[in-house]
Amino acid sequence: MTMTQEPAALIGKDLSDDLAAASLALARKFHAGATLWVVSPQWEPHAHHVAVEFVHPVIMGKRALPSVALVDPDPVAQARVATRPGDVIIAVASAADPRVVDLMRRAPAWGAQTIWIGFGARPAAGSADHVLWVESDDPMVPATGRFVLMYHLLWELTHVCFEHPGLLTMADDGGRDCTDEVCVTCSDEGRLGEVVMAPESEVSPALVRTATGEEAVDVTLVGPVEPGDLLLVHAGAALTRLDDVTGAAS
Amino acid sequence: MTDLNQNTDFLYPFIEGTEHDPDSLLLDLASSARGKAEVSARLQQASLEEYEDRLRAAGAEMADRFPRGGRLYTFGNGGSSTDAATLASLFCRPVRGRAVPAWSLAADQAVVTALGNDVGFELIFSRQVIAHSRPVDMAIALSTSGNSDDLIRALTEARRRGLLTIGFAGHEGGAMSTSDDVDYCFTVHSQSIHRIQESHARLGYRLWSVVQEETQRRTTALLAAGRSDPGGNR
Repeated sequence: MTMTQEPAALIGKDLSDDLAAASLALARKFHAGATLWVVSPQWEPHAHHVAVEFVHPVIMGKRALPSVALVDPDPVAQARVATRPGDVIIAVASAADPRVVDLMRRAPAWGAQTIWIGFGARPAAGSADHVLWVESDDPMVPATGRFVLMYHLLWELTHVCFEHPGLLTMADDGGRDCTDEVCVTCSDEGRLGEVVMAPESEVSPALVRTATGEEAVDVTLVGPVEPGDLLLVHAGAALTRLDDVTGAAS
Repeated sequence: MTDLNQNTDFLYPFIEGTEHDPDSLLLDLASSARGKAEVSARLQQASLEEYEDRLRAAGAEMADRFPRGGRLYTFGNGGSSTDAATLASLFCRPVRGRAVPAWSLAADQAVVTALGNDVGFELIFSRQVIAHSRPVDMAIALSTSGNSDDLIRALTEARRRGLLTIGFAGHEGGAMSTSDDVDYCFTVHSQSIHRIQESHARLGYRLWSVVQEETQRRTTALLAAGRSDPGGNR
């Protein structure tokens, strides 16, 4: 058999730039004490591979870093409890996986940065801080080693960053595209919050979790709320709630 | 000493903690990512070319075994255990094609920890081969060194019981490449564990593709024979 042609490029220019940015951001988070949580509801072994990569490096002398695969049937509930402000959540999943879509839009309320690895149709702009996407519609991609290469490179580049201590302590606001009004993580309209406890009465506040912790929030403007509802919080009051399906302000 | 460091900082911008502009690092990282991906792609292609004939032969043998009730067991350690699980999923839960019975022997934490604690880590897979297997079954082991004791023991046990044994190795192939207990050994010639695992995935995918093609060919022949001989010997 003869296969003399050049193999197709597995990582193009844009993806290599995305990998570089994600690696530096991840190194900065680890440097500040982050744990890396990994979900892959459709392809659980990839979640375990990412976690073991960081916890038990294949290259002697590299730092062991905290990383855990979350493989419960409900990854949102599991990540909600596990995540602390400053952590990072990485998903290996298609853009259409409703569990991961939900996880990614809630992560800012938990103070977590997000990295999304997948293939096929890309997630909507701003869905995650870093999107590392295989530009292929072949449904077999998850079994061909493309994802393995992706998170191997993420690990390798992250450890390169540790050799540049001067660059690890700089502020990092994440990489979400802030091109329109639905970007809630940094807009002036408010911070994303997730209701922990509904108000006990019509005049009492709700307990709401935001990137900085739990706080009492006045919800009289948005009406009755339930645990899990996502709100935009500004100056101690909920200004609006986010639509359950699209994540857009309603 | 402090003075000396300050005076020579400019010579070592990447070593000292005074580096503040991430742009050059980001360029280096992106370039490094593309370079490593190219190395991986070339290694995958070279491995596919080297082993195409052997992959076809192994896949044909597997396609003979599945219709007779054969089951596939995959196993490895660490990252390779997850690659073994991905390979098992490819066989038993493919997005397209026929599904056949396969599972990863590292998947059950109760079994793995029970065996590791009671009889020793080197027996975690071979004891499962003893418990589960029949001669018609198949075993695939993945090890970047080719030397993992628990895998070698399981392959030896599998061969003793008549299973088809396949090993994916790396570096120089290790014990797996010289063992008489391994019917097919695919050694990826690299010193990088990461690049070896990426090629293992690609070779495993090729092996699965061959099994699918061979299964399709056998099914087509079976159906054609059925049409020409209605009410034949079923």
